[in-house]
Amino acid sequence: MQELVDDLRNRLEGVRRGGSESARAKHEGRGKMLARDRVDALLDPGSPFLELNALAASGLYDDAVPSAGIVTGIGEIHGRACVVVANDATVKGGTYYPMTVKKHLRAQEVAQDNRLPCVYLVDSGGAFLPMQDEVFPDREHFGRIFYNQATMSGLGIPQIAAVMGSCTAGGAYVPAMSDETVIVKDEGTIFLGGPPLVKAATGEVVTAEELGGGDVHARRSGVVDHLADDDAHALRIVRSIVATLPPSGGLSGGFDAPARPSRAAQPPPPQPPRADPAGLYDVVPTDPRTPYDVREVIARIVDDSAFHEFKKLYGETLVTGFAKVMGHDVGIVANNGILFSESALKGAHFIELCNQRKVPLLFLQNISGFMVGREYENGGIAKDGAKLVTAVACSVVPKLTVVIGGSYGAGNYGMCGRAYSPRFLWMWPNARISVMGGEQAASVLATVAGREDDEAFKAPIREQYETQGSPYYSTARLWDDGVIDPLETRRVVGMALAVTANAPVPAPSYGIFRM
Amino acid sequence: MKTLLIANRGEIALRVMRTARRLGIRTVAIHTDLDATAPHVLAADGSARVPSYLDIDAVVDAARRTGADAVHPGYGFLSERAAFARAVTEAGLVFVGPSAEVMDAMGRKDAAREIAERAGVPVVPRGEDAAYPVLVKAAAGGGGKGMRVVEDPVDLEEAMAAARREAAAAFGDDTLLLEKFVERGRHIEVQVMADAHGTVLHLFERDCSTQRRHQKVLEEAPAPTISAAVRELVLGSAVALAREVGYVNAGTVEFLLDTDTDEAYFLEMNTRLQVEHPVTEMVTGLDLVELQLHVADGEPLGLTQDDVRCEGHAIEARVYAEDAYGGFLPQAGTAELVRWPTNARVDAALEQGQVVSTAYDPMLGKITAHGPDREAARRALVAALDETGVIGFTTNVGFLRALVAGEEFREASIDTAWLDRHELAPPDPALARTVAAWTSALLTPGDGFRLGGPPASVRVELDETLLVDRERGRAGECSVTTLSAADHVVRLEVDDERVWGLLNVQGTRADVVVHGQWHRFEAPDAFGDAAAAAGDGTITAAMPGTVLSVSVAAGDRVVEGQTLGVLEAMKMELALKAPFDGTVADVGAQQGQQVALGATLFEVEPDA
Repeated sequence: MQELVDDLRNRLEGVRRGGSESARAKHEGRGKMLARDRVDALLDPGSPFLELNALAASGLYDDAVPSAGIVTGIGEIHGRACVVVANDATVKGGTYYPMTVKKHLRAQEVAQDNRLPCVYLVDSGGAFLPMQDEVFPDREHFGRIFYNQATMSGLGIPQIAAVMGSCTAGGAYVPAMSDETVIVKDEGTIFLGGPPLVKAATGEVVTAEELGGGDVHARRSGVVDHLADDDAHALRIVRSIVATLPPSGGLSGGFDAPARPSRAAQPPPPQPPRADPAGLYDVVPTDPRTPYDVREVIARIVDDSAFHEFKKLYGETLVTGFAKVMGHDVGIVANNGILFSESALKGAHFIELCNQRKVPLLFLQNISGFMVGREYENGGIAKDGAKLVTAVACSVVPKLTVVIGGSYGAGNYGMCGRAYSPRFLWMWPNARISVMGGEQAASVLATVAGREDDEAFKAPIREQYETQGSPYYSTARLWDDGVIDPLETRRVVGMALAVTANAPVPAPSYGIFRM
Repeated sequence: MKTLLIANRGEIALRVMRTARRLGIRTVAIHTDLDATAPHVLAADGSARVPSYLDIDAVVDAARRTGADAVHPGYGFLSERAAFARAVTEAGLVFVGPSAEVMDAMGRKDAAREIAERAGVPVVPRGEDAAYPVLVKAAAGGGGKGMRVVEDPVDLEEAMAAARREAAAAFGDDTLLLEKFVERGRHIEVQVMADAHGTVLHLFERDCSTQRRHQKVLEEAPAPTISAAVRELVLGSAVALAREVGYVNAGTVEFLLDTDTDEAYFLEMNTRLQVEHPVTEMVTGLDLVELQLHVADGEPLGLTQDDVRCEGHAIEARVYAEDAYGGFLPQAGTAELVRWPTNARVDAALEQGQVVSTAYDPMLGKITAHGPDREAARRALVAALDETGVIGFTTNVGFLRALVAGEEFREASIDTAWLDRHELAPPDPALARTVAAWTSALLTPGDGFRLGGPPASVRVELDETLLVDRERGRAGECSVTTLSAADHVVRLEVDDERVWGLLNVQGTRADVVVHGQWHRFEAPDAFGDAAAAAGDGTITAAMPGTVLSVSVAAGDRVVEGQTLGVLEAMKMELALKAPFDGTVADVGAQQGQQVALGATLFEVEPDA
């Protein structure tokens, strides 16, 4: 596991540098701050930053678009959790690749689900034109960004933009659609058509600054509300804007770990786990086929290692129970083997319980699937599995999923995979995800094709599943919100629970449970 | 002596009270309305209000009202006023000091000189005997008023006329003296102590050569540069002079030492306890106030000259509320935070929360360090000044620290005019900024967590922005370790240097004292910058209206905010101002002209 974590950290270190050295030098040479430095300067000093999808687009587009050219995540500004979306102009001029769009939209979804103000630090050349068919026309493409801005603003979720570079064509709508906007003098430009397009269209020769510079927009067009001297000044103004926002209407504020005192009365600081979290590296076997007791994992994540286990003696392959993570109540659903009817029923019961009590759910996913075979099919495992899936799907409390091992087949559904809209989903570096295991897929396909013993037929299938089952294949495509070091699970889950508490929880209502 | 009224304020009042209390004597303070709750009032056993510390009748009346049987004048105020000594004595009270007659005799410089000559004390060559350059000074003077240095005989007449006018205005007496001017001199003074039974002792000498415009800055004992022969001469002369005049109580005989010729000349005698008496106390181990009170009570000193020993070396620094790097202007304000050192003797009356006005002497206190030799004492004084801090107004501690740490003072080569010839470089704020940033980061909650990587550095916005990596101990370009941090005081190691800092970090502002100097750093205000104010230099009519006046022409240099013209519109007069420094490129406005909305009235080109 240590090796897997080292590999993860190396990958993260690589993408956090952003674009090429020359691109970064050129960017900073113009007095501009790098995207991640902007985020750091925007957030409160000492604020954590829960970055989303740092490894997006890794392995895609010739591996030339680290982090998909955009930095997104959640951090605190004046003690208030906000979603930050920052273009990285050192990566392909900050243009939008398909995964850039997907990542931007995912950040907006996080903001909307959790009622967090959005801050857009815009420095982008707009859509990546060679791939326009994959970024422009569809429902979940570029236009959705502005749709989201309008609808979130309508929901009272503040939309704030700072234009710190170019903001061309469609991109111009990011500031224009925002509630309050800042522009950096001599650096930020906003126009629907840049000088070359204007010349081509009308013959008018005009400089970028005359066309849509800071002075123009602050004084004449009214497209922006504040004019800043430089990046640092713009970020100070954004911070000041956030400081003026009224408190959100959610349940409880606060986003962070105990080190940051919240404005509310101080609860006692959460106890760290009694079982040393460092043991997670040893508890979890490197070979996913080796069984282990998931309670060893739970004990290393929850406060004081205290776990109130529910129905311990029934449906033992699914562990359920209540605990606290960083002081937040949570109901845990964790795999401890294959799902049987009893485990599925137990899970559905427990999820109902959490919804009734408004306790958020944490799924610790390590599942090869539901049990198969005549006895189980005849016993109605399909309808029991459906009950679990129904409970998960209709659940109204915030759901968090961490894939700590395998994520295969219908087990993925019952354990709140991406399709079940958990508020956040993370993977450990040892995780695997696919519809079934590579070996099983190869066997099934070989049987169907009548080539059971043909190793040459099966090998590429196994190889394909091996590649596509990797957490990095997943995270590059935003099937998750990031790959995390198991040691950071407690911290990340704690932060996420604080964030999810921002949005109100409606009354539960379920579909038909097939009896 | 049962009850002692201290006719003074500030540190000296507290100093006298300390000894009086130890001797079982009740203490009474006097105060003006401004000082009603000053430290010396709070420290005393009783107090009385006076309209002014200089009002002799009121002070004597206060002594009578409060049942005092003795009065200690301290220094300054009425301490050398014979009339005061006389009034106290006539009221039947004990005056802690010499008699009014002795004060009278020594108070006038010409009379003092005659007495000195009679006692065989060397005096500065005067009149025709004096070689140029000569000093023209007021006979009744002091404090530099009515003084003129004349280098060339041709300038003498004019200098004397000017000095006479000043003397008349300042002292009501235009008698002038003419004497040899010592260009490079050291100020040597001898502490004497005499009782009413004929014992006259010296308590060794002090060197107070580090002066600025005749105001002492640093004082030390013993004098570091004089020869045994000179020492013998000044000590003997001081005793002889005191004996000659029939001096009783503590006094100081001042000499000017010509460093070029190694000759010492009598200057004047101060008939009171000196500000700098602590250095003498620290090398002799004697309590001068205790001796003063005994002598005033009519008791013998109980000491012989051989009992008085000078051990080690002591240096005192005077702390003033003044901006030493801003023309030495007196400073006033509220002392938000005050820390006096614990590793040196402190005679001070400044406490946290106290308001310091410019109504009284700007001296806040004195810090005196002792060591087995001069260098040890000097290092101890640097260490003490390093742990002294006032936040709220500027003091000279940073200046003192730089001075004491400097090569010239270390080599004892500072003469009485050195500070008038030299300026110290103002302190570099970089170290203070580092200390402020580091401490601010220590106070920042949150660990800057970042997924799968090192935590984010804490960005501390001061006048400059510094990144602080708390884990790796970096602040900007420096490596920093915290040794201790409590109660606004930090001890840090910054790039292997031990640094003491007094801090007050509040929101976007950080106040720091490092090396004695107060620095205030403020983060830039998001809405205080110039970007919003400066447009493209085109000044247009914001409303249709009439140009009332045009005050510039094309080609004129203008500064930001300068009025270029006035537009009248909607019954308002709008001043049209230059958005930045630059040159007027074009004037589109004419006086009396009706202009339309948006009409270009002026064009200003910014400076390149």
